[in-house]
Amino acid sequence: MSRKENCSISAALAAATCTLLGSGVPAPVDAQEEPLWDFNTSLLYYGEDGDRVKDFSVSAIARRMFVDDRFLTLSLTVDGLTGATPSGAIRQDVPQTFTRPSGNAAYTVPPEVLPLDDTFKDTRVALGAGWQQPVGETSLINVGASASREYDYTHVGVNAKMARDFNQRNTTLSAGFAYSFDSLDPVGGAPTPLTPMLDVGDTSNRLGDQDKDVLDLIIGITQVLSRNLVVQANYSYSKSDGYLTDPYKVLSLVDGTTGDTLLRTLTPGVAGPSHQFLFENRPGERTKHSIYGQVKYYMNGKVLDASYRYMTDDWDIDSHTVDLRYRIPFGADSYFEPHLRFYTQSEAEFYQLSIPDSQPLPGFASADYRLGNFDAITAGLKYGWRTRNDNEMSVRVEAYRQSGTVPSSQIIGNQAARDNYPDLNAVIVQVGYRF
Amino acid sequence: MSKLQVLRGLLVTLALAASPIALTAPPAGDALDISEYRDKVVLLDFWASWCVPCRRSFPWLNTMHQKYAQDGLVIIGINVDQEPGDAAKFLRAYPAQFEISYDTDGVLAKEYGVQAMPSSFVIGRDGQVKARHRGFKVKRQEEYEATIVATLQQEKVE
Amino acid sequence: MRRTIGVAAAALLFCAGCSSMGVEPWERDILAKDEMQLTTDELEAATDDHIYFSKEASSGGRGFGGGGCGCN
Repeated sequence: MSRKENCSISAALAAATCTLLGSGVPAPVDAQEEPLWDFNTSLLYYGEDGDRVKDFSVSAIARRMFVDDRFLTLSLTVDGLTGATPSGAIRQDVPQTFTRPSGNAAYTVPPEVLPLDDTFKDTRVALGAGWQQPVGETSLINVGASASREYDYTHVGVNAKMARDFNQRNTTLSAGFAYSFDSLDPVGGAPTPLTPMLDVGDTSNRLGDQDKDVLDLIIGITQVLSRNLVVQANYSYSKSDGYLTDPYKVLSLVDGTTGDTLLRTLTPGVAGPSHQFLFENRPGERTKHSIYGQVKYYMNGKVLDASYRYMTDDWDIDSHTVDLRYRIPFGADSYFEPHLRFYTQSEAEFYQLSIPDSQPLPGFASADYRLGNFDAITAGLKYGWRTRNDNEMSVRVEAYRQSGTVPSSQIIGNQAARDNYPDLNAVIVQVGYRF
Repeated sequence: MSKLQVLRGLLVTLALAASPIALTAPPAGDALDISEYRDKVVLLDFWASWCVPCRRSFPWLNTMHQKYAQDGLVIIGINVDQEPGDAAKFLRAYPAQFEISYDTDGVLAKEYGVQAMPSSFVIGRDGQVKARHRGFKVKRQEEYEATIVATLQQEKVE
Repeated sequence: MRRTIGVAAAALLFCAGCSSMGVEPWERDILAKDEMQLTTDELEAATDDHIYFSKEASSGGRGFGGGGCGCN
């Protein structure tokens, strides 16, 4: 009879029995091995309404544990993007023709339709790697690198963060930085800012590749307030330098009185824009400051996660974000988590709906709705459960809606009769599996 | 039923009777009387089901128990879980060959001045705390073991 | 901008008084739960960050570190 057989009784009794039998050093009962690998995977669908952007993405984060709380993290995301995005030109009562960013073809937009540019079929691959380990008894350090690539954009970056515990680990101070270097190789080349959109085949106003770098710094404090309440506050600083303009976005050049987009004289036999459009221009620098606060509160099995973020920058944009999640256990092995997010931002200093020909050309101008004045709301529900093989699965469905306003001082003549701000309605569906 | 099975059944019953591990709800915060362990070296290990490093410390504590129990080492794992059932669940996954005691209200943890989880205290044959260890690092196992061996070798001071 | 720094400084000063707040090391059972971590699901947080970064003018802000079981 093997020693193992002697001691093959339920774990709770093993020790006592083995001792009674006096079998010397009993065979140790195998403790459950701590899994070395941890995987977090997801499938995501993001879809805006109509002909607008649709994104499908697959992500995975793999974490491997090494001795004494050291971790290696590897991540991969693959995104497939289709659909169209507003080009920045305004609606007109007549059809409008635009040259594609590549300069190789043209497309026409029917009357009363918001001009959308659909040259965005794209695949993006993003990779990340990180290493985390304790330093001494009360600190921890995390270093990492990231890279991503799509057909017109390459990003590389490094990041590092440190955290140190005080007051019997009730207080944690943290600091981190991230530096990234991004380069753009826009289709057809980056256009010279505030120059007109030209005929098909005319790339005389194109510049070469562009790049930018971004430095992010963050300091924070986390405080345990009670057995079921923890809060965090932090301050972030971000500085971007370089080419911050969107090479594909334009503004309509309009009549200073009627607000209608100026017509363009077309060369016979040559395809090109029907109206006058100018490529946008943003400053070569942007400094952002944010403060963020978060509360996690446990009440009888339910968890409230509430956070607020205020952002202000030197483009004159101010934003407020309130994010609320409430996790409610459902049975022993699953939960529901409703989610509400409120967001509001004020427009950039150089945001304008169109460029009137009655005034001198501005230094910087953009009609990109993402720099405008808008409110957004997200409402969603997540359902998660423990699977039969003791892993975790979750599904979340969310609706995201943006609605904006153009400052009344920017609305000229006939523009007042139209719906000028491209509102956004999107659906987010994400399925996650952790094992 | 074969003789072997009957024998096994009897042994199981005896083991149940002799087992120091409570099979019913654990008593809340039993006071630990160190004087009970005069002439023994006691290793008090404060642990909890939610403490991740405790999963690594248990196999090591079992090894210490196997190696030094005959030399007078008594290991007591003091559980500080506040939710009933959590400790039992942990013990099913990470079984202990040493004694387990329950300190649900944290009275003992406060008395000993636990500063981090897990924490262990090595108490000599004279009842005095000889060493404290905050946390459990796999890389420091030899250091922890050396402390135990040194304490075991100390003569009891009259 | 000055107002931002003022608020941030006030928050940090407030927490200088944090030395008396908190729990004992053995009372962290709830804080150790997965759902009580500051970022419960890293992938979901990264996904949201990416979506909102692409559609809005603000980004990030979320911090890291602290809370949890406070072990080792």
